[in-house]
This record gives sequence, C-alpha cells and structure tokens, in this order.
Amino acid sequence: MGSAGSIETSGLEPASPKESSPGRRVEYVVPEWVRVRQESFGLLFFDVRTTKLTFVRSGDSLAAPPFVGERRVLRVTQTGEEKGEVISRLLDKLVARGLVVVSEAE
Amino acid sequence: MLSLRLSSSQLSAPVNVTWEITRACNLACRHCLSAALPCAEEELDFDECCALVDELARMQVFQVNFGGGEPFLREDFLDILRYTCSRGLTACVSTNGTVLTEELVRELLRIRPVYLQVSLDGACPETNDAIRGRGTFRRILRGVELLAAYNYPGLSLNLVVTRLNVGEIGHFDRLARRYGAKTRLSRFRPAGKGAEVWEELRLTPAQLRELSSFLGAHPEILTGDSFFALTPAGRRNLGLNMCGAGKMTCAVTPSGDVYPCAFLCAPSFWAGNIRSEPLSSIFRSSPVLERFRRLEVESCQSCDRFSLCHGGCPAVAYFLTDSLDFPDPECLRSAASVEEVL
Repeated sequence: MGSAGSIETSGLEPASPKESSPGRRVEYVVPEWVRVRQESFGLLFFDVRTTKLTFVRSGDSLAAPPFVGERRVLRVTQTGEEKGEVISRLLDKLVARGLVVVSEAE
Repeated sequence: MLSLRLSSSQLSAPVNVTWEITRACNLACRHCLSAALPCAEEELDFDECCALVDELARMQVFQVNFGGGEPFLREDFLDILRYTCSRGLTACVSTNGTVLTEELVRELLRIRPVYLQVSLDGACPETNDAIRGRGTFRRILRGVELLAAYNYPGLSLNLVVTRLNVGEIGHFDRLARRYGAKTRLSRFRPAGKGAEVWEELRLTPAQLRELSSFLGAHPEILTGDSFFALTPAGRRNLGLNMCGAGKMTCAVTPSGDVYPCAFLCAPSFWAGNIRSEPLSSIFRSSPVLERFRRLEVESCQSCDRFSLCHGGCPAVAYFLTDSLDFPDPECLRSAASVEEVL
C-alpha cells in the first residue's frame, strides 16, 4: 500500500521582540534541515528532521530563499518601524523553533 | 487553529506527493490498495521518473512518499531515490520489508534522509499472516531486525487497523519500540482490494471508539496519514484531521496518472497524466482537484468539529455511499449513521 509518512502542522503568529547586537547585521539563515517556500499567506516551513509543517502568516514581508542551496537567507522585503517590530518577533519565533538560525555579520 | 485555516487556502503546490512507483509486488495482501488498480499503461521509465523528480523540485514539494507495489522490486528504484534526495526532496518509502538486505540498508543510509515505513499487520504471526500471507511475519521482522541492527533513523512500523488486529495495537507498539521504530496506525479503507474484504475487516463502532481512545492516550503514535478522521480532541495537533486530497497532497500512479490521493484512484477522479501535462499544471488547474479543494460535506456543517475535519475522509464516504457529499461513515460523532449506511 502506497501512502506513507505523516506530516504534522502548526501555525505561527508574532510574539515578543529580540534585540540584535548594535553595529552588527543580523541575518536569518535557513538551516540545511529546513525547506521553506512562499505561499499566498506568507511562508510554509518543513522541518526534514520531524516532517513538521509550520504555517507563517507573514504576507509578503518575508521572502523565501531558494529551495535548496549553500546559504539560504530569509529576506525582509517590507520595513517601517511598526512592521519591522512585528517581523522581528516573528523571526524570533522561527529561531526558537529551529526553522531559521541567526547569523551575525559586520 | 491558524495552521488549519491556512492549510485550507490554495497552496502553490502539494506538501507531499504519494508516488506509486511500481505495481510489482512479492506479496498478495488481502487489503491491498494498489493491487486492484488498472495496469494497462506502461510504468514510467527512469528518464520519465527523473523528469518528474525535477518537476517536484521545481514545484518545491517537500516530501515524496514512495509506495507500490513493493518499491524495492523496481530495479532502478535506488537510483530514483538517490536522485530524489539529491534534488532536496525528502523521501519516505513504504515497504513490506521482505526484500531488505544488508547491502540495501547500507545504501539507504548513504542516501539519507530516507524515511522507511515497514508494513506489518499484526503483533504476532497469526494475525499478520492472515492478512499479508503465510510466513510473512517472520520475513518482515527479519527486515526490521536488519534495520534495527544498523540503528536506522526514521523507521516506523505501519499497521492498517482492522477487526483482526485492533486488539493488539498496544502489543504492536511495544514491538515497534523494541526495534527503535515509531508506530504508525493507518485507517483501513474500502479502496482497491480492501473493498472486497471491507465487511470482514472493518472496525465495529465499538472498536472505532476503542481505537480513538487509544490514540487519544498515545499522542506519540503516528497515524498513517495526516488526515485521520477518528482523532479525539487530544490528537488535534498531531494531524490535519482534514482531508488534504487535492490541497496538500496528490497521488501519481506507476504510469503517471494523477489522482487527488492514493485512496481515490478511480476513473472519475482522474486529474491528468504527467506524460501529457506537467504535474504543476495538473495540480493548479485540474477540475477534479479543484472539486476536492472546495469539498465541504454539507450535512456536517452544524458539527462543532466541522472546522477541523470538513467531513472526514471522502474516499471512505465515496466507496461506501457513491457520494463525496456524505459524512465519513466512520465518524464517531455519527456512529448511528454507520449502521444505517452499512
């Protein structure tokens, strides 16, 4: 019989913000065990280790990097103080779930 | 449930695709989903398989669930698997476990990540062999022991829950743990050859309640698909509880036909063939798949769990009632209707 593999799901909405180190540029890198793609509501993450899906309602504020590749960085496409804070919280949640990792650059 | 609301929206591509890679099989299980499929067309050749993998990668499908038949009986299957993983797709293989060898296991470990789901339909030879054939319990366990000897990561043992084995799922779970495997329980559906033995093997309403209760008490146990309609409240976060056919998933047969899911490979649900149209185009514009995206069982809409299940598994409803617009006949909330329908 053919059907194989369960996929779990969960959703994500903004939480508390995180401060980045002053003078350093923070990048949010998608680790090798995660796939992410753009959807109409925002981003859809897939954790290869757990086969868990995470739906992120980010609209068009975050752009998914290529599906596979060496260094895949999430791109923030919309800024502005209020929106930036919301996105910052969202990214922190993604970090907490291991779906992106923080990388600091000069 | 944010994830449920969002998963109800039209996705750009399936999350996973079930790919019945071959019809060849060395067993003759009584409830086999695929054995009753028509097999007039030739199976996709290696180049066509690679082209489909390329298309799946372009679509950014996350996971490919290979099934059959017995996938490892296809001579070029390891090459297809290797190519699938090289394109960044996650592979899961449903196997009967009887053809596993040390060499094969070592190769699978090199290809990683390949999730393996070994089908076993009972916790003892008597139960399993009554469904999968005489002597298969020991042959399957030999394969499982081999995987356990290599500490194979991502291993699960899958049991299709029937009247014969529902009483031993606790024992089955302990057996799986002994081999470092997860337990996965799948619904028995009246599709394929399953239709012929439905009356004999289907769960009684009391057994359905027993199973539901067991699943509620064991949230760590996987269900055979994401759309298990029998889940109690405690398992809501473990699966979609909603049919993903045409929305989150679709199925491709050995000859490239596309259907909403592996349980709905009937002529009236044919959505296209990848030999004549790219899968992305079929997924985007097939009227059959669109029909499933809009499917909401009207008579269920007053139920407080409607937003979670939208009426359950349409395959079960269809094969028992000839209608998609009918509540899942095995829904515990309409247990009375089970007796009426069956």
